[in-house]
Amino acid sequence: MSFLGVARYALMRDIGAPALFRIMEGRKKRERQIPSYFGPPMDSLSELKRIMMRHYYLARYAEGVKPIAWVTSGAPVELLRVFDFYTIYPENHGALCGARRKGPELCEEAESRGYDQDLCSYARVDLGVAFSGKTPVGRLPKPDLLFASNNICQTVAYWYKVLAHHWKIPLIVFDTPYNFDEISERNIDYMIRQMKEMVPLLERVSGKKYDEGKFKDILLLAKEASLLWGEVLSTMRNKPAPMTIFEAFGHLAPIVSLRGLPVAIQYYQSLLKELKDRVDRGIGAIAQERKRLMWDNIAIWFKVKDFSHLFAQRGMNFVTATYTNAWAETTPYMDESHPLESMAKAYSLVILNNNLNHRLRLMERLIGEYEVDGLVVHSARSCKPYSVGQYDLKRLLLDRVSVPSVVIEADITDFRAYSEEQANTRLEAFFESLEARQ
Amino acid sequence: MVECISMKQISIPTRREYIERQRREKDWRIFGVFPAFVPKELFWASHVLPVEIWDPPLTTTESNAHLQPYICSVVKLGMEALLQGYGRDLDGLLFPHTCDSIQNMASMVHDFMDLSLPCHFFYHPKAPYTEASKWFLRGHLQDLATGLMGGDDSENRGSEMSPEILRPWVDQGREIHALLAELYAIRASGRLNVSNACFYEKVRMGEYLLPEDYQGVLSSLLENDRGAKHDGPVVFLSGILPSPREILVLLDDLGVRVGDDDLLACGRRFKVQTPVGENPWDALVEGYFSMPPCSTRGSLVQDRADYLLEAVERCGAVGVIFLMVKFCEPELFDVPQLTRILKDAGLSTLVLDCEVNQALSGQLATRIEAFVETMRSR
Repeated sequence: MSFLGVARYALMRDIGAPALFRIMEGRKKRERQIPSYFGPPMDSLSELKRIMMRHYYLARYAEGVKPIAWVTSGAPVELLRVFDFYTIYPENHGALCGARRKGPELCEEAESRGYDQDLCSYARVDLGVAFSGKTPVGRLPKPDLLFASNNICQTVAYWYKVLAHHWKIPLIVFDTPYNFDEISERNIDYMIRQMKEMVPLLERVSGKKYDEGKFKDILLLAKEASLLWGEVLSTMRNKPAPMTIFEAFGHLAPIVSLRGLPVAIQYYQSLLKELKDRVDRGIGAIAQERKRLMWDNIAIWFKVKDFSHLFAQRGMNFVTATYTNAWAETTPYMDESHPLESMAKAYSLVILNNNLNHRLRLMERLIGEYEVDGLVVHSARSCKPYSVGQYDLKRLLLDRVSVPSVVIEADITDFRAYSEEQANTRLEAFFESLEARQ
Repeated sequence: MVECISMKQISIPTRREYIERQRREKDWRIFGVFPAFVPKELFWASHVLPVEIWDPPLTTTESNAHLQPYICSVVKLGMEALLQGYGRDLDGLLFPHTCDSIQNMASMVHDFMDLSLPCHFFYHPKAPYTEASKWFLRGHLQDLATGLMGGDDSENRGSEMSPEILRPWVDQGREIHALLAELYAIRASGRLNVSNACFYEKVRMGEYLLPEDYQGVLSSLLENDRGAKHDGPVVFLSGILPSPREILVLLDDLGVRVGDDDLLACGRRFKVQTPVGENPWDALVEGYFSMPPCSTRGSLVQDRADYLLEAVERCGAVGVIFLMVKFCEPELFDVPQLTRILKDAGLSTLVLDCEVNQALSGQLATRIEAFVETMRSR
């Protein structure tokens, strides 16, 4: 760790990043015309942009100053925070690339090196970034450690192996046995043992000692942020809902990327305050909320904006999603008096590490609690654990709670795997069936 | 080169007849097991015949209503077999945790299909392995054995499997692995006088035979088929499974000998070193961790590359063919870095993206022929 690097990092943190944001603010484009089918825009969006921009901006200067880890979205990052790792979430970065329609360009960087177009596009985007250095955020720091958990998919473990080989750096895989039935004591014990076994490697890479007290404090921060995120989502139970799920896809970034840090709590406190105020004043995310919908699966990042208009024009608002719910669902398990055991449960019981019966019950519950009229199922070519079983879930939900639904075959970032015509045809039929159910 | 020893020579009927006979005459319960890693010793010790479901000769029709177009043909055909009613002939199912698609198919079958069959799930730990991996696997194997013990109305149902019950089957498994190791070693040395197609037809019979019958098949291959050293180019097979069969036949026709493989369905599971010891549970655990590196078990790319380079050198192969199954993520992630390492070592590589049971297209045949020409010219 060089003195110059530390000084530069501190300078950018305290002066560079705030100055950059002021410049960006000053360059504000002309006032956008908000279509009449939307409600008033939310103020929190600019704070979200500031936080995430700062996160990626400082990452450029963190190399050599802080230990850097690339982490999967479902990994128990709280453990890394004890060692002061600067964490980068390639899935969050992939979503950002997808939203900016950079997916195919970065995927092609990986494909030109032999990575098949049928592989997860988050992985292809990230490998493309790793191989080429290209990114819309300027530069991502090279990691000292890779930290993956297969609680969201096996794909992340395959993908991080490629990175580990590419950079010749250590890889930790937090192996979370799939809950085919109920979670077992053996599985919990296995995960606890793994977390204990990680500590010496984390100490070696970071040069810092494990601190149990600090770990408990971080766990509390993560729990509070997750609880706040859950409250944020719950505001959408109100009619009209103060936010759309498309906005929530954006507000998700801090709970994914900054979990366990005070900034995530501060942000969600502020967001929650704004949402409660909108609820009190009867302000909806869309002007005329006639139908309330649920989204299943990761967002189609390159279509979020288009879809938000398409549905709002029809008075349809997405008020819940299995995806956004994932970072709030297992929060109650976190318990600082049993940190490792509670972490094992919280991370093992996430939606994608659970059997499909669990998902069916969850979707039924969300449909009831949020008074959902219809379901849009994104069959994501990139995400097999999320997508395999969706056809059956769709049928079962129609039988059990009479909710009409539509399946959109698409992808999370790669718009080459998306057919506008096919999606439109299916959506038009879906709109008709929804309207027919007055 | 001997085309293939006949079924009659080794007294094995067809797969279906064989399985039915075991049930009818010897009262074996029959379990369908999905790819790839199956602790068969536990099944045998529970008087269960595990029958592997890799590539049933079916056309996918019904499974398309349940699975997306981007799901691999191994999973689709497995699901198809159940949807077409082949589960009626079974007493249970086992789903090893091989990949995301098999994981979710397992849940679909268990949670949503009304098969009235016991469904078991085998979660094998993923690399990089630690002490916790060993601890977990041992306990999980014991849990699985308890689940398998006894039939629905047996008094043994749910009881723990004792080391005394397990030990003879672990010993028999060890003998099979020793035979396979010998067979692979002879083939690597070029002295096995059977065609590529015949070799894989016979070794894959282990997917449904009881151990003593499988030992008979392997012994007959070993005893009857040692021949003169083959002179053609030698290739190493990697990937998932030796399918379509026509590729093997084409390699035979082109005079290419397969020297060795690390196919998921074959070499990666056959090369097990089960230690001799007092405790059969320890032996099973050690056996699992002794297997060659594998994408579905999370092995690091460098470990697999080191293994491949050594195996390729041992059998004298000048090229490596990856027999891929389209949409198979674990394997597709490994292959680009592996091919680069193999090429840097001076080897030719060919990656074939196939569907299980597909016919050999002219284009595929041309690619193989061109690859063989490249190998010959080296």
